[in-house]
Amino acid sequence: MSLQKKTLNRYRQYFPQETLRETSARTGIQITRVFRLFNGKTMKVGELEAFEAAVNLRIAENPNMTLLSEAVESAGAILTNEELAKVTDYIQRKVKARSFSRMYIRNDYSNASIA
Amino acid sequence: MKGLSSLERAVLECLGKKSLTYDEVQGQSGLHENVCFNILQALIIRGIIATDGMRYRISENLSPLIMEEINGMNAKLAESLEIIEAVLDQAEGRNFKFAKIAMDTRDEKIFLAMLSNLESFLLDAHKKSEAAVPLKERKVVFWGVGQVSTLMHQMIRGK
Repeated sequence: MSLQKKTLNRYRQYFPQETLRETSARTGIQITRVFRLFNGKTMKVGELEAFEAAVNLRIAENPNMTLLSEAVESAGAILTNEELAKVTDYIQRKVKARSFSRMYIRNDYSNASIA
Repeated sequence: MKGLSSLERAVLECLGKKSLTYDEVQGQSGLHENVCFNILQALIIRGIIATDGMRYRISENLSPLIMEEINGMNAKLAESLEIIEAVLDQAEGRNFKFAKIAMDTRDEKIFLAMLSNLESFLLDAHKKSEAAVPLKERKVVFWGVGQVSTLMHQMIRGK
């Protein structure tokens, strides 16, 4: 995966519900340009930095994120493979449970009429 | 992640051997509408449940590999941990006791016998009310016992 794709995917993970307009406001990149970038147009270095900066700002809002990164590094060095699997599974379960609660509006066709 | 999350398990338990509509699954599981819908979709994608567009049911002829993934010991242990953690985090009406108890051999035997009685009582209670009480109104009960030294050594060994 290219660095650009990785950066955009990472950005989407941190701001999953964001509209193009909000992304534009957050990164300072024009809305039409944001649309193009998400559709595969090649990024300039400055734009890449803007996306990275937005993600880093979000990470900085949550001080436990740094602690988690440090803990993961120590865990990788010290824990057994079996323990690492348990920790990974624990984190994945937490993430999965939360991802189920992301808003998804069901289409309501109950009052729909066929034209 | 292997196995099911406890939320997915709740939906599967609601379905059981029946086929239910979305509203029935949601009513029985007590899950929020969107959460319930997302879980059903996730289970359909994994091929664990099937739908005809109106009703949901557990897929027939699940491969042994998927069965092992769903019902394997590791997956079940991880699910139990999820639920136990949720009980510990309960804001209201939390009922959880944890203690290191000094017991002589005689008391230990009595205690284990009482646990056995408790288990039979719970099994009977469940059988009696299983049909009438929906999943969302059931109670989570857990118990366990271990010797401090064994558990400590286990923690140090990393198992």
